[in-house]
Amino acid sequence: MKNQIKQLEQAALQEITSAAVSKDAVEGLRIKYLGRKGVVTELFKKMSELPASEKPEAGQLLNLLKNTVTKALDEKLNSAAGIEEEKEALDVTLPGILSKPGHLHPITRTIDEICRIFISIGFRVVEGPEIETEHYNFETLNIPLEHPSRDAFDTFYLKSSGKYLLRSHTSPVQTRFMEKNKPPFSIVVPGKVYRPDATDASHSFMFHQIEGLAVGDNIKFSDLKGVLSIFAKTMFGKSIKMRFRPSFFPFTEPSAEIDISCIICGGDAQKIGGKRCSLCGGKGWLEILGAGMVNPKVFEKVGYDPKKVTGFAFGMGVERIAILKYGVSDIRMFFENDVRFLEQF
Amino acid sequence: MRISYNWLKDYIDIKLPAEKIAETLTMAGLTVDSIHHITGDAVFEVEVTANRPDWLSYIGVARELSAITGAKLKMPILTKAPGSKAKSAGVAVKIEDKKLCPRYTARIIRGVKVGESPAWLKTKLEAMGLRSVNNVVDITNFCLFETGEPMHAFDLDKVESGEIIVRNASRGEKITTIDGVERTLEGSSLVIADPKKAIAIAGVMGGVSTEVNYSTQNILLEAAYFDPISTRRTSRRLALSTDSSYRFERKVDIANILYASNRASNLITEIAGGSIGELIDIGAKPAGAKTISLEYEKLNAILGVEIAPAKVKKILAALGLKLRSSTKGKASFQVPVFRYDLNNEIDLVEEVARVYGYDKIPVTIPSVIDQPDRMPTDVIVTKKIREILTGLGMDEIITYSLIGRKMLKAASISGEGIAEVANPLTAEQEIMRPSLIPGLLNAILWNVNRKTKDLKLFEIGNIYVKESDSKFEEKKFLSLGIAGENSSWAAGSRAVGFFDLKGIAETLLREMGIRNVSFKYAKDETFSASTCASIEIEGDAAGIIGVPAKKVLSNFDIKEAVYICEISVDAIIKYADMKKRFIEPPKYPSVFRDISIIAAKNVLNADLVGLMRATASEMLKDIKLIDKYEGKQVPDGKISLTYRLEYRDPFKTLEEKQVSEAHAGILRALEEKFGARLRY
Repeated sequence: MKNQIKQLEQAALQEITSAAVSKDAVEGLRIKYLGRKGVVTELFKKMSELPASEKPEAGQLLNLLKNTVTKALDEKLNSAAGIEEEKEALDVTLPGILSKPGHLHPITRTIDEICRIFISIGFRVVEGPEIETEHYNFETLNIPLEHPSRDAFDTFYLKSSGKYLLRSHTSPVQTRFMEKNKPPFSIVVPGKVYRPDATDASHSFMFHQIEGLAVGDNIKFSDLKGVLSIFAKTMFGKSIKMRFRPSFFPFTEPSAEIDISCIICGGDAQKIGGKRCSLCGGKGWLEILGAGMVNPKVFEKVGYDPKKVTGFAFGMGVERIAILKYGVSDIRMFFENDVRFLEQF
Repeated sequence: MRISYNWLKDYIDIKLPAEKIAETLTMAGLTVDSIHHITGDAVFEVEVTANRPDWLSYIGVARELSAITGAKLKMPILTKAPGSKAKSAGVAVKIEDKKLCPRYTARIIRGVKVGESPAWLKTKLEAMGLRSVNNVVDITNFCLFETGEPMHAFDLDKVESGEIIVRNASRGEKITTIDGVERTLEGSSLVIADPKKAIAIAGVMGGVSTEVNYSTQNILLEAAYFDPISTRRTSRRLALSTDSSYRFERKVDIANILYASNRASNLITEIAGGSIGELIDIGAKPAGAKTISLEYEKLNAILGVEIAPAKVKKILAALGLKLRSSTKGKASFQVPVFRYDLNNEIDLVEEVARVYGYDKIPVTIPSVIDQPDRMPTDVIVTKKIREILTGLGMDEIITYSLIGRKMLKAASISGEGIAEVANPLTAEQEIMRPSLIPGLLNAILWNVNRKTKDLKLFEIGNIYVKESDSKFEEKKFLSLGIAGENSSWAAGSRAVGFFDLKGIAETLLREMGIRNVSFKYAKDETFSASTCASIEIEGDAAGIIGVPAKKVLSNFDIKEAVYICEISVDAIIKYADMKKRFIEPPKYPSVFRDISIIAAKNVLNADLVGLMRATASEMLKDIKLIDKYEGKQVPDGKISLTYRLEYRDPFKTLEEKQVSEAHAGILRALEEKFGARLRY
């Protein structure tokens, strides 16, 4: 019987291998070998005729044979199924069914990105009111009434009995915060500001600013340079160069305007084929920030002792940063809310 | 202000090319915005900051350049010695308001021949963008740019009885200025007058009646100091800003008035002939110069750099400050009169830093300040709202906080409690928005006009309320708006509807950890009476959702179906629960049973669900509406609703019998209360 089993195994495996790869062919062979009257089944029946001493070994061999044939048939069946599935192959080039993602407004993205940089170096985010008083918008910031330094701050006023106005910069949050908190601290203040400017490609009567203020017992101008350098390099890339120019703001002294090297030409007209750079106008520098050391007069107005504390402050226009960062050509696009624009960010 | 490179070189020995000078000035704080190359010259457009009126002249700019570069300053040499007399034959000056005019000088020049200016003078004024008038007027303008001192020449013979009175205008007083415009003055404006009439608006513009023209023979040359605030007020009120008013507003050098007057007199007699006559100089002499002391340690501490005392003294000396005293740790300096901006120690720190060079100050990192709460709750919550909404496919918009009254009316929003702008530039900026909805509808219109098929927008921003005449409130709100259709080649297309937007609102609130939210039918002018609901959180009014009223849509010219919603972010902040706590997933399986009922059409889902919840035991974990039908299969006036109920026991597998009993109880309650019938 041993030989018989061995021969049968060879024959069965050969027949299975050479059979057609189809469900029907496999089923036919399954009946032939494993069916109720199949060849293997018949052999099992014959086992009873064997002497008792041979029965265990034969049983073992027969079970092995049954497993081998079953496995070979299953494999054949899987291949057959594969071929049948292939016939129904999906057109995988049909478009995917869209799950449209939403988009943050580029101004929100820019504010988040700027705040994240400053948070990572220890600043905290603070907000303040958009409807302000002359006191906070001007006076506490050392911008006296009827002084030419107010020229830079054309302002919307509200019809009211007090002198209420729409803040023309985020700086009033500086003095509001200092009145309620003791140094040391470092804050950034994002928010909307308003100026009655005629609207064009580079002016908007509403825009966003981010103000920064750090006050402590040992804050230096060199720290201001360090913090802003981290900001500019994180925001615009490691290779960016920075330039601090003396300037004037009533609430800081010394004051500076900060330029970064042009992100298109880098100050080298050769890099863009000798043409006049459309972004920096050939100057090689882009103004991005105003900053300075907090004027002692501002500290006096909030009750700090300027002999004991120093600080720096800075401010930037968010639209300006976004325009530079994303190459947006017209500030009005930020407020048109065209989804073909919004969905690019 | 313009600065001609050629003209500038009259006052300083400097060989540097124009570009180099522009950069040097820029890096000293006198920003050169642009350089225009014209034939044989380069003209800088410079931006003079409000603190540096001393830069508003060629001599001022040359003086700065000399201080920075060490190049030699060349002051114009006055060839004719000025005469000075307190009185003059037939001429008198009287100052009525010494506060607004602390000093007034009048120089008499007789026998001039007014005519055309020489070519060199015309070229110089042209570079400044000025047209030549006649030699005398041109010289006063030339000297204004050269010295920074505005001067005015009167035709002496036209000044009534040769008497100059510096006085306040009477209210409504009229004067025709040399530009030919008749102007009406207010009482607080300072004028130069003769006994009969105003002949000039002090520091702003001269009058036509005493104008110097070709028939003029004798002139009275005014050089004075007028109060900055008064000049600014007058100039603003008349909307008349001149080269003269611009300088008086910023303070002219009171110590330099006589020099400028002498310089102009020299040039007039040189070019127009005549002879320099008497000088009347009345009013205060310049006050004593200020002295400011500077501690080196303080300077270095503020800047974060060690600058040697010798270097500090050298820088300040070059800027014209005189060393008054000097010890080891500090020194004091006398400030030139023209540096009105230098008053305190910090001002000297800035001067030293500026000339030393900001670029030479090192870059350091401040020590980190321990501040645990780096983001306030408001910011965290709004950030989370934005994350959830963008995750739901919504695009964020930012609309203007200022809108027109028309927009408000178009959205049928009441005009009560509106914050109004006193000085809008256009009718689109008249008021502060009391709602985000007008801006949202505008953004929807913009996009549907551009054929956007699947529009999902949101905005987070303030709305503004006028509580009283001296109290305004800002409240943070969220607006949501959708329009168009959901479509795919696989599922076909389906117009978006109210429940798409409601689903977004519900998902948002649920994700914010807000549990008790209810939507109730509401009426509102802005919304259609067919589809409008108030949103309540824990029973507090928190928002509104629905379809805009037909008239609102037609006012905005929107033809598509749109769905909008407004929710108070303050309410979300109040009820949001962003603390995450782990809850063990159920160990035992749930049993699901459907219930299909036919009920009267006006029965509310909320009432049915409420009753099911009230009736069921703890076992009932969830009720989900899975089908809603009205039509042929159900009688008129009825609807069919199918709910899927989920039963579960946290401690054991539920038995069939328990569930059946509970389910039957619920059905019974529905039948009793709503006359609902089971549908098979």
